[in-house]
Amino acid sequence: MVKTQYGIKYAVHLITNHFGNLVAKVCECLLRKGPLTLHNIVRYTELTQMQVKNSLLVLIQHNCVQAFRLADTGGSQSAPKQITQYIALFDNILHRMRFSKFLAIISQEFDTLCVGIVEGLLQHGRLTLRQIVERANSSQKEGNSVGMGAVQENLRKLVMARYVEHCPTAEPFLESPTEDDAPARKRGAKSSKMVIEPETLEQRVMEAARPMEAKRFSLEMDTELNEDGEKDQNKSPDKHVGDKRKRDASDPNVDSDTTEDQVVLWHANFEEFIRRLRHKACIENVRARMDDGAAIVLSAMLEASKTEEKKVRTASSVPLSVNSIYEEVIKSEKGRNMTFDHVRSALVQLSSPPPFVTVIDESYSIDFKHIIEVAQSEEVESIVLKRFGRDAYRMFRLLSKAGRLLETDKISDKIFVEKKETTKILYKLWQDDYLLMEKLVVGTATFLLWKVNKHVLWEHVLDEMFHAALNLSLRVAYELEQQKEIVNLPTDRREGPMKEKYEKLKKMRVLMESSQMKLDDAIMLFHDF
Amino acid sequence: MTWTLGMSRLLGQKRKQTDSKSPAESLTEQERILYNVIRNKQDMGIWTRDMKRETSLPDNVVNKSLKVLQAKNLIKEVVNIQNKGRKHYMATEFEPSKEITGGTWYVEGNLDTEFIQILKEQCTKQIYKLKVATLEGITDSIKRSGVLNVELTKQQIDEIVKALVLDNEIIELKSNGMGEFASIPVGKICYKCISKGSGGGEPKIGAMASIPCGVCPRIHQCTPDGIISPQTCVYYNKWLDF
Repeated sequence: MVKTQYGIKYAVHLITNHFGNLVAKVCECLLRKGPLTLHNIVRYTELTQMQVKNSLLVLIQHNCVQAFRLADTGGSQSAPKQITQYIALFDNILHRMRFSKFLAIISQEFDTLCVGIVEGLLQHGRLTLRQIVERANSSQKEGNSVGMGAVQENLRKLVMARYVEHCPTAEPFLESPTEDDAPARKRGAKSSKMVIEPETLEQRVMEAARPMEAKRFSLEMDTELNEDGEKDQNKSPDKHVGDKRKRDASDPNVDSDTTEDQVVLWHANFEEFIRRLRHKACIENVRARMDDGAAIVLSAMLEASKTEEKKVRTASSVPLSVNSIYEEVIKSEKGRNMTFDHVRSALVQLSSPPPFVTVIDESYSIDFKHIIEVAQSEEVESIVLKRFGRDAYRMFRLLSKAGRLLETDKISDKIFVEKKETTKILYKLWQDDYLLMEKLVVGTATFLLWKVNKHVLWEHVLDEMFHAALNLSLRVAYELEQQKEIVNLPTDRREGPMKEKYEKLKKMRVLMESSQMKLDDAIMLFHDF
Repeated sequence: MTWTLGMSRLLGQKRKQTDSKSPAESLTEQERILYNVIRNKQDMGIWTRDMKRETSLPDNVVNKSLKVLQAKNLIKEVVNIQNKGRKHYMATEFEPSKEITGGTWYVEGNLDTEFIQILKEQCTKQIYKLKVATLEGITDSIKRSGVLNVELTKQQIDEIVKALVLDNEIIELKSNGMGEFASIPVGKICYKCISKGSGGGEPKIGAMASIPCGVCPRIHQCTPDGIISPQTCVYYNKWLDF
């Protein structure tokens, strides 16, 4: 989905919180204006070149900005030049809200050393193996050092599971879209009659920057440590994590081709984390709608087919046979007490129309798209119910299911609400952009027709969610600021009314912060899944 | 159980038959013209202003003639659901059409909500009992239960069931002939109650709907430094009031 107005505001707010106003200003400029050259960023932000450069380095280090080169077709007199532009990575900025979720996934699947590695990568954006080792050792007690081998071994595990990958190329060259490309894509879309989301520039840049599959998850560790690692480490004890940032990140004045690849930089593979969260959301949806059995079978299917998934927004999984599903089911502790028949009946349940799992020739495949769509509809319907009432909820569901224009009287008949009242409610929904209205004049009579346009509405809802997320975050900060004294009070002096106030603040924080996490789940549902 | 309106409506005879045409023979020319116009409209009836336009008779003549025709029991005044304020007439031998009455669910121009509610409850109960039910199954089950001593058509039950789907009380499924659908032909539409496990039958409240902004009617006017802002929001104050 696109970045909406409030999406940008929210992203800028996150960057301001994490890196301060200066960096946020540069980031906002890129988010609002699209990719820009260093020169233009300086011009628009009215900051000094040095300030912009440093801000860009921070943003690149934290995977929030990507540099790329484009053929400059402007100058006709000389040979085509390559110009470097910077693009803000909107999705990656939002992921900063989800680091705790990412870490939770790691701690479920791996041991603490792995959690430490990923935590370091999330905290510092990108690290070399040496920095990872340094970090692992700095958190250990004296004399309890973590060996190079152990770190390498754990990093290997994380790379194998695709949670960690090589950083993208510093400055990939992007072919400017030729004129032949555009119509070709259009023709393709028409003939296949499928709605193909146009590839955004952000996606194209990331595609170009991504190392080849083999290199991206290559387990070949760089040699800097294997040979003289331990020595080197001792030689420069004052070198800390983060110091390398400026050298590692892409510097527009350095020809990146010559410096890259000498030291391998690692970072967290957000794509894999989001895929995992998508899977979890699907499992929870099925559990809520069906039962634990169906959820266990679905999660086994996800496990068995995950290696075949190429992108996050896969529409459906590869087909699996009952036997292979059963084999996977019994691998898990919960699945072990399921019989073959139980699994079979869960599959029947999952594939009964409208199906979450489609069956073709005795092979089962997960219909991700359908599961996600159901969850999205449910989220929007629940907003309609709370904001506009039960009758509006019924009307909305009717129109949403119909997927076409319906006339007021017809709506009134179907949901058993008086015509006048129906018109009033529909009008209110329309005013708040939840419905589309069309007037049809036949002779002297005017008919009002209504419709839910999911594409437009989903974007509108997402924008409101970003707005709400921003508000929640601002309110949390405000409450903490208001009650600064209480927060800073030593524990032993929290007595009487002070203690009460402290407890109240604690409850407020728990409520707001858990709401933030849940709201972020909903944002992912609409934005990332 | 008291459900006066619905009961009386469906137990009472709906159609009144006019047994004689004789009064029509003693009409004046103008009365006859007017009567023919009204009668030609059959079960749609006609609004007084349209009568005046179509017959080109003066107002007073039309008004007088209407009285005569009503007295002779040739025409009747009916409520038009589309426009309750307008005087609408129809020949006595016709029953007002669905467009005029609003359909089976209306009584004298008002939606019979009480009756609809009872039917909704009964249908849900039968579906719950049957676990998975087709429309025929529900209709049959209601008939056999004898709870309602009124005859309901399949069409009426269908409308109620469709409304229950919109209420999110039941879901519509297609039988695949397996498991609980074993007794239902493949592809046949059937209905099932929504499991009322965790949600207690209420639709799940989403993440957005459970925070103040999700239900805020003023979210469009809300800005960080505006008159309406997250810092000063009254809904937030209420929400965070422990």
